[in-house]
Amino acid sequence: MKNFWKLAIILMFTIAFSTNIYAEQQSVTSAETQKEGIVLQVDRKELSGGGKITITGKAPQGKDVYIEIWSEKNVRAARLDTDPDPKTGKRPYIFYMTDEMPAFYTLIVPEKYKDILDQAKKEGGKWSVSKVIKDAGADAVYGEPAKRKIDRYQTTLWASVIGSRGTLLPPMDEKDNKRRSMQLLKAKFRSVETIFSSKLKIAQDGTFTAELDLPSNTAPGKYFILAKVDKELKSSLVTVENKITLPNVYLSNAGRTVNLFGPFFLALVVTTFGVLMGAGGGFILNPILVLLGLPHTVVAGTVMPTVLFSQASGVYNYSKIKFINWKLGITLGLAMILGAFIGPKLTELITLAQFKFIFGWILIILAALMFWQTTPGYLEKHKKEQAILKEFKKRAEEAAKKKAEGGK
Amino acid sequence: MKIEFWGQEFKANLWIGIPGAFLIAVLSSMFGFGGGPFMVPLMTVFMRLPMYVVVGSSLLAIFFNTLTGSLRHYGFGNFDLVFFLIMFPAAILGGFIGPRIAKRLSPIVVKRVAVVGLLILALSLLGVF
Repeated sequence: MKNFWKLAIILMFTIAFSTNIYAEQQSVTSAETQKEGIVLQVDRKELSGGGKITITGKAPQGKDVYIEIWSEKNVRAARLDTDPDPKTGKRPYIFYMTDEMPAFYTLIVPEKYKDILDQAKKEGGKWSVSKVIKDAGADAVYGEPAKRKIDRYQTTLWASVIGSRGTLLPPMDEKDNKRRSMQLLKAKFRSVETIFSSKLKIAQDGTFTAELDLPSNTAPGKYFILAKVDKELKSSLVTVENKITLPNVYLSNAGRTVNLFGPFFLALVVTTFGVLMGAGGGFILNPILVLLGLPHTVVAGTVMPTVLFSQASGVYNYSKIKFINWKLGITLGLAMILGAFIGPKLTELITLAQFKFIFGWILIILAALMFWQTTPGYLEKHKKEQAILKEFKKRAEEAAKKKAEGGK
Repeated sequence: MKIEFWGQEFKANLWIGIPGAFLIAVLSSMFGFGGGPFMVPLMTVFMRLPMYVVVGSSLLAIFFNTLTGSLRHYGFGNFDLVFFLIMFPAAILGGFIGPRIAKRLSPIVVKRVAVVGLLILALSLLGVF
């Protein structure tokens, strides 16, 4: 047992520090020399918690230059394809997922394509990455996310019921992988302005200047910058290192850097209030975290275990005074185990918009339920019930005490 | 199903209980909230069980739900360790502070504030504002 705890502590430390050691590795200064015709430079090689970088360079005269920037750190992106086939009208229900999506990705297009980005912004949630790329003439230069390995699963209703992702389908060809990577980009980053920028000025002689503003909540580690004119004509890769310092920490599954005091105080206030209102903090905490931009899958999967221990101690305390009917609790518990087996699978399948929509309605039902609990009729009944509950608890505690004393 | 609790016998209607518990578990694990506020009304109002039978037994059922849901989320890679390590102490601390403040506040006022807060949150999730 002692060895087990030693091992557990060592393991914890390894996990906690392994990311730091990784972040401190110095970036290898990459060559910025001319290669295949495009020169690329950056004004700074190191950033701390994001910041502005000016990218300059020179490309052959009269050519459109595009700049891709992506992070070394990767995150997961997933999407369930339910769009009906234009020919047959059948919905494919194929689940696309990659664990290799860059935690940060931006494609900077020449300034003259600003209208195309503005147009996409106007389309709201229905905008398409592939359309912007095509209209901005970037089809040949869009490269990095297209190379990432995307798994696809054929899901069925039955697969969802037993909580599996479905059957893994054979890998896609290059062209298909590219197309799906664009959809996953949108599923992950959602807005036009996170994926695209048009802050790129190209002068008559082919010199260009671009501005990149890495947000403060972006991942630590290396960022790669590449300028391209087409598939063949590109610059060499330039590396910039982004460092983060405490109290900022990187949430590797969410792909975001946060100030650790933010979630701490938010969770503290919300769980305290949760105790007061008699409903777990998750009802308030989860929507706030999602509205702040954290992935809904990570929010649901991380908030849920936080109450595990308080529930376990609650069960233990009730069981001590024999206040649990095991037959009833286990029967309903088995039904809940089945439900909880399926739920997390569904979290993965739905989009952020669907998550918000359903959660919104659940909160309205909860609000109605709580309002009902403040109506005079309910209060009167509740008062009586609480009195009986108290009486029973007292008796149970006394019985438990007696038993303990008798046992001595 | 007949159950016995402190010498009294009750009838639990499982035709409502099991589908209800199942549905609550799906939603609760899907969105990561606790099932308590829905389980207690299900068992008291729909299954017509008295409160003193419900408190302990519902918590046991919900514990099963949280355990399974957490393990499944972990299996799907939705668990973020650093994020958990930040929020877990806060949740424990909140559990200590909450009951101490509760004595000084009127539960009805707290609930009404919660109703307004929940509605605001719901409307912003639904994109109304």
